[in-house]
Amino acid sequence: MTQIDNAPQCGGFGDYGGRFVSELLMPALTELADAHREILFSEPFLAEFQAELAEWAGRPTPLTRVPHFSTEARLDVVLKREDLLHGGAHKTNNVVGQALLARRMGKTRLIAETGAGQHGVATAMAGARYGFETVIYMGARDAERQAVNVQRMELCGARVERVESGSATLKDAINEALRDWAESLGDTHYLLGTVCGPDPFPSLVRDLQAVIGCESRAQFAEMYGGRLPDAIAACVGGGSNAIGLFTGFLDQESVKIFGVEPAGGGTHTNRHGATLGKGTPGLLHGARTYVLQDDDGQIKHSHSVAAGLDYPGVGPQHASLRDSGRVQYVAVDDTASIEAFRSLSRTEGIVPAFETAHAIAFAAQAVERGWLPEGASLLINMSGRGDKDLDMYFRDHA
Amino acid sequence: MTLASLHSAFAARPHHFAAFLVLGDPTPDLSVELARAAVQNGATMLELGMPYSDPCADGPAIQAACDRSRAAGVSTPQAIDVLARISAALPDVPKNLLVYGNLVHAPGYRAFCERVVGAGASSLLVPDIPLEESGPLRAACRETGLGEVQLVGPGTDPERLREIDSAVDAFLYLAGLQGVTGAVQDDDAKFALLERVRDQVERPICLGFGLSTPEHVRRTFAAGGRIAVVGSQLARVIDAAWQGGAGDPAKIVDVFGEACRMLSAPAT
Repeated sequence: MTQIDNAPQCGGFGDYGGRFVSELLMPALTELADAHREILFSEPFLAEFQAELAEWAGRPTPLTRVPHFSTEARLDVVLKREDLLHGGAHKTNNVVGQALLARRMGKTRLIAETGAGQHGVATAMAGARYGFETVIYMGARDAERQAVNVQRMELCGARVERVESGSATLKDAINEALRDWAESLGDTHYLLGTVCGPDPFPSLVRDLQAVIGCESRAQFAEMYGGRLPDAIAACVGGGSNAIGLFTGFLDQESVKIFGVEPAGGGTHTNRHGATLGKGTPGLLHGARTYVLQDDDGQIKHSHSVAAGLDYPGVGPQHASLRDSGRVQYVAVDDTASIEAFRSLSRTEGIVPAFETAHAIAFAAQAVERGWLPEGASLLINMSGRGDKDLDMYFRDHA
Repeated sequence: MTLASLHSAFAARPHHFAAFLVLGDPTPDLSVELARAAVQNGATMLELGMPYSDPCADGPAIQAACDRSRAAGVSTPQAIDVLARISAALPDVPKNLLVYGNLVHAPGYRAFCERVVGAGASSLLVPDIPLEESGPLRAACRETGLGEVQLVGPGTDPERLREIDSAVDAFLYLAGLQGVTGAVQDDDAKFALLERVRDQVERPICLGFGLSTPEHVRRTFAAGGRIAVVGSQLARVIDAAWQGGAGDPAKIVDVFGEACRMLSAPAT
């Protein structure tokens, strides 16, 4: 059989990415790609974006050394505090950028998908601040397990549409948002929350989240007399907080980079979200990327205690970084993540989101599992705070 | 059956009513009977969907049809088996397959095309592989003799329309509305769109998305469409009969056949 060249034609990362969407969405993607290219790097836009990140979102976020946790982990751990960003997670960086872009494109309505609810909250906040009508699609199952975030979205004036189809989680919320957009693209911007989806979203969202890595690198150098960290790590669901951090360090070969996927109930079971570890290349939500799928190409249900990591796909740039070996993707399970949630709270007084707790759990296990040598310096993206997870923690895990 | 059969069908008659069915909906056996009933009641083409977990371009009725089929345990190999049974029963009726990209990508484009050509498909529409990304799929279609269909819509500009028109060899599938299948929007707009597109392209046009009545079918042909496809409405008919008929196969086939008879009247 002849080998077919699978490399996508639009916005590819090697063999991954592309625009695998219905023709009905192509005009919207072309329009967005033009705006990305022509507006995003223009002086007036950058000035407005940076001013809003500073005044409204609270940038720059600090780096925090965590000595007690570090002693337990036998590492020198530093956290990039995206949990202190307005809204409580890194999602706000992307949302501010896309909302300002959408306003310049003349859009009046925002739609978004959300898993853990952090992106939904961030979009609802931006909708309120920048004057958009806002609709958030959220899996009914996620809406139940992240009820506080649903209340925050509604308080900010967004309408929350609970999606009952499929697994009633993030994947299904994206399907529904894409369906809305096919009908509404004239006046509506689909504010996609992660580095997934069709081109230009993976590169657009990366460009808006790159501030995390850029700031971190300068701050770490300042804190450590000009040095770089030995390693950096971030949790990976769709992968936007990870790409944001990694972008600042990809060109530094001495820095080991780790992406931490959700092993859920164990990667030997069917209950996990370790797309890069256990998936195979496929087409999902507009991109060619690693996907959890059966032999026929039906998409499998993923699982993670962290709703924001509970997704059977991953951003196409991560797929490319996996294949090239530049980033090592590992997985930690629900139990280890809950333990890390507890541990960071008790040792440092910092409550991580369940998603972020996966990166914390990576640090806790890194020496024991041979991922890092004892005493290594490790910069972790503290992507979000855990307030939203308290109900679930005290109900199911305390 | 390949692209040639489609060309013969266009030569034989100007207008075709196409019934859309999800393969295996609501069960494999009934699916074959429903296809037969559609043709007995005036459908001269069939559009057959592969059940998929995430049919993003489809509205609720066809999503539910996919769910019914998958709940009946219909995998892709079984869906291809249902296609082969329909082809055996209705060898002369062109069958356009509607398949989401990942199902084609998983076994490899060429391997997938070979399998469905073997099972009697005449052409293929993959709604989430647009022109830019369609090169490898087009090569596989050409090598296997499977006709290629591409979607165009209200937002497809004239230049792009011409590019797509010259790229495909089967027909253009025109979405009459900006949205997903089964949506209800302004009727006049979709027929005006069809008239506008018709004058700009060489390939035959199939109109779909939001057609649900005999009047829609009649207006499709009046506006220059060669194929009128009704999908969501027929999926709703199956749904109601399946729920209400408590699984009485004869009754479901009757109700479905009657719906096709009314819809196909303007084509005869």
